[in-house]
Amino acid sequence: MNKSIYILEFKLFFRNSATWMGIILLILMGFAGLYFGKTFIEKQEQVITKAASLQKQQTRQNIAHFGNDIGLFFYHNKFSLANTPGAWAAFANGQRDVNPYLISVTMLGLEGQLYDTDLSNPLSLLLGKMDLSFVFIFLFPLVIIAFSYNLLSEQKESGIWPLLKAQTDKTFTIIWRKILVRLVVIFVLALLLMLVAGIYLQLPFDGTFATVMTLILLYLAFWFAVAFVAISLHKSSSFNASALIAVWVLLCIVVPASLNLLLTKKYPVPEALQNVINQREGYHEKWDMDKSVTMAPFFKHYPQLKKYPFPEEKTFSWYWYYGMQQMGDDSALGSRVLIEKKLASRQNFTETVALFFPSIQLQLGVNELAGTDLDSHLNFQQAVRKYHETIRLHFYPAIFTNGELKNTDIENYKLEKYVPKDVPVIWINLLSITTLTVILAGVGYFSLRKRI
Amino acid sequence: MSNIITTIARQTFKTAFSNKATLALLILLGVSLCLATYVGWQNYKSQQNQRLHYKALVRAKWLAKPDKHPHRMAHYGYLAFREKHELSFFDFGIESFAGVSIFLEAHKQNTVNFSEASFANGMLRFGEISVAMVLQLLVPLLIFFLGYNSISAERELGTLKILLCQNVSWKQLLWGKTLGIISVCLAIFLPLILLTILLWASLSNWQINPDSSLRLLMLILCYSVYFFIVSAITVLVSAYQQSSKAALTTLLACWIFFMVIMPRITQAIGDKIHPSPSKIEFADAIAADISRQGDSHNPNDVHYASIKDSLLKAYKVDDVKKLPFNYGGYIMAEGEKISSKIYSNHQRHLNATFEKQNRLTLLSGFLNPYLSLKNVSMALTASDFKTFVDFQNQAETYRYGLAQKMNKLQIDKISNNSPGETAKPLAISRSNWAQQPDFNYRFSHLGTILKSELLALASLLCWLTLVIIMIQCTARWVKTIPNQN
Repeated sequence: MNKSIYILEFKLFFRNSATWMGIILLILMGFAGLYFGKTFIEKQEQVITKAASLQKQQTRQNIAHFGNDIGLFFYHNKFSLANTPGAWAAFANGQRDVNPYLISVTMLGLEGQLYDTDLSNPLSLLLGKMDLSFVFIFLFPLVIIAFSYNLLSEQKESGIWPLLKAQTDKTFTIIWRKILVRLVVIFVLALLLMLVAGIYLQLPFDGTFATVMTLILLYLAFWFAVAFVAISLHKSSSFNASALIAVWVLLCIVVPASLNLLLTKKYPVPEALQNVINQREGYHEKWDMDKSVTMAPFFKHYPQLKKYPFPEEKTFSWYWYYGMQQMGDDSALGSRVLIEKKLASRQNFTETVALFFPSIQLQLGVNELAGTDLDSHLNFQQAVRKYHETIRLHFYPAIFTNGELKNTDIENYKLEKYVPKDVPVIWINLLSITTLTVILAGVGYFSLRKRI
Repeated sequence: MSNIITTIARQTFKTAFSNKATLALLILLGVSLCLATYVGWQNYKSQQNQRLHYKALVRAKWLAKPDKHPHRMAHYGYLAFREKHELSFFDFGIESFAGVSIFLEAHKQNTVNFSEASFANGMLRFGEISVAMVLQLLVPLLIFFLGYNSISAERELGTLKILLCQNVSWKQLLWGKTLGIISVCLAIFLPLILLTILLWASLSNWQINPDSSLRLLMLILCYSVYFFIVSAITVLVSAYQQSSKAALTTLLACWIFFMVIMPRITQAIGDKIHPSPSKIEFADAIAADISRQGDSHNPNDVHYASIKDSLLKAYKVDDVKKLPFNYGGYIMAEGEKISSKIYSNHQRHLNATFEKQNRLTLLSGFLNPYLSLKNVSMALTASDFKTFVDFQNQAETYRYGLAQKMNKLQIDKISNNSPGETAKPLAISRSNWAQQPDFNYRFSHLGTILKSELLALASLLCWLTLVIIMIQCTARWVKTIPNQN
């Protein structure tokens, strides 16, 4: 009995042309999202491969041009570190279009090189990437709204509702059944798209997959809860459609967009511009100063290098030059820490407000899991700092003793790949969406009970 | 005739305001507009002041540099900051995604760094609220809510046939409804324009720049046309659809498709069809061209060897040290000339690729009035791609000028005999530094902008013509009485 009613409900639902339009839209957009998301990441991978061979070639050329002046060689030669995209990056491109994924630096001052961006079209950045996470965050809720806004009101408007009410006292069950049918269809669609994504993007079916899946299903359940509350108010179809679209516009556009404005106002980052000036002055002013102004702090920074004799009498030496470059970085240390603090408070602000807005929460959650968020980029910057420092310390002795380049192991250096180690935990994101969903579903339940 | 139109318009206007939900929506929109104006203005002010502060600092530090070798100054270089246009508080456009500062030094072209987006996490991708965003995205939604049942409700209630029997023509009815709806929008838009003008005037210390005033006028005109197009479409959909509900769902579906989905898709396709090179590929292509023409860093380069030979021959000396000018400076000037020309060619080519990527979105304006208005609005508020490119070009011109100025000083004022390993380095007086002027970005004039935005303006005009024709001719196609089924 119960089973056959569900079959009838499904049949009824699929007889509606709007149902098919919604399903087809999601599948088409889902595939488009997968395709564009994947090609974007594939291009980055190709560039990284190309960069590896280019670095080798350029090192060889630099050896040919500057091989007999070791200081000059390292003035020109670049070392690259690539932030290789993880499997999930194609699913959620995140900030990978804004932030550079390949940083090539010479041994000179790092602060002057670390923030160089890639070449990008700002209009493309503004309009945003088309990936599968976009489909889940923006389009799925719209289809959920389209499927459920007239679930009850349509019955009333077509005059079926009084008939139904007269025949059974289980009107709540009827509505519940209809919602369940829609929920199942949407969930199956989401699972299907995720399955296709898993195969197409070669995502490992592991804990991360399960977390992303849970996060998405929770988000979709949240939108059903929103729709449920609207249904429970017993208003007309037009009212429901308007109200639900208004909620969508609020949650997916107006609220995050206003918060962004607030964020920019509350936490501006003038330190970044100050940082450039500090680095530049910290290095260049040393040319006009006594050499000890450079070398005393330099040896304080690197006491282990003191053992290499400094050619005090020479007007110019690479020893002094690299020391001055180091002073640029050291002068920028304060502003650099300030930038980091500012960015941390920005992150804090976003995480706090996201607790109340599942759309932001999902975006942040999947970007974090995909390793395409700001934090991942900052970690990548830290890795570049570390790598740069290793290279400096490795080659300083050869430069400071005016060694021969061919006696170093420079030929062994190739493009390095940065791979983030820890998998982030996002239980807060899960918890906040769950809580909001449960609250809304409860509100809808009582409101519907009261009005039936 | 016109009397009937005004009566209908007035009636529509009154009904809109008598509806509590509409009133609430209107107030909400008005408040968010005021908020967007106020915060947008504050952000503009603080960011612009920041940039001006650092611009002044950079200038002061440049002038305060002691006596030096000019080539040291060329490497010390200059920092240029992308200034915001005074109207950019109205429309942020690409502001947050374009870099702010660029380091200009000899031999090397750097990227414009530190965009707001590089300090942002995923939330920024939802957009930023600005006056333009409210007017472009949310006002149309309001218009849809106001007008979806403008005709269909009359039909459903049976008043439509009565109206049409009473000497009211379809044309008058459609014009009246459209004008009624647009006047509701203008009721909130007009005070806002006044507020914007006041704010903007106070921003520029009551010294109004004529070019900016014209820009603002043009903006107001374009937005009014946009609202008219959207209102007319709403009324037309309401006339064509059988029921109010169908009209509403059609309009909402259109809103989602044209304003949420389409811009991303057109741009994604544009990016796909016209792929742009990554930075390393770009730099590699430039390096390859330079080594073909002459690489001053390559000691065995043919081009520079021949320059050396011809110089020695012309001055009848056997060593470059005996030349009457600084040979190093001469070679660097030549190197700068070659590399900068090659770089500019590649940069131009890259920007052409970006333009091609954007072209699809631009052309989509003929299918989507939102996109045409968006393009025009960004251009008029100088927050568009072209302004950014223009900044890059002006900065590069300045960089080249600075490098060559320093090379010239070296050629003329630095001795050709390099001092010994332990001698004092060669230097020229610091009084020379002031000869290099400060970097000041110049915004294009309205005429230039209108010329480059011809396509977007044309698409907006096409839409205007189309909806007017539709209103004029609709009577032939629509039904007065609902289908009986």
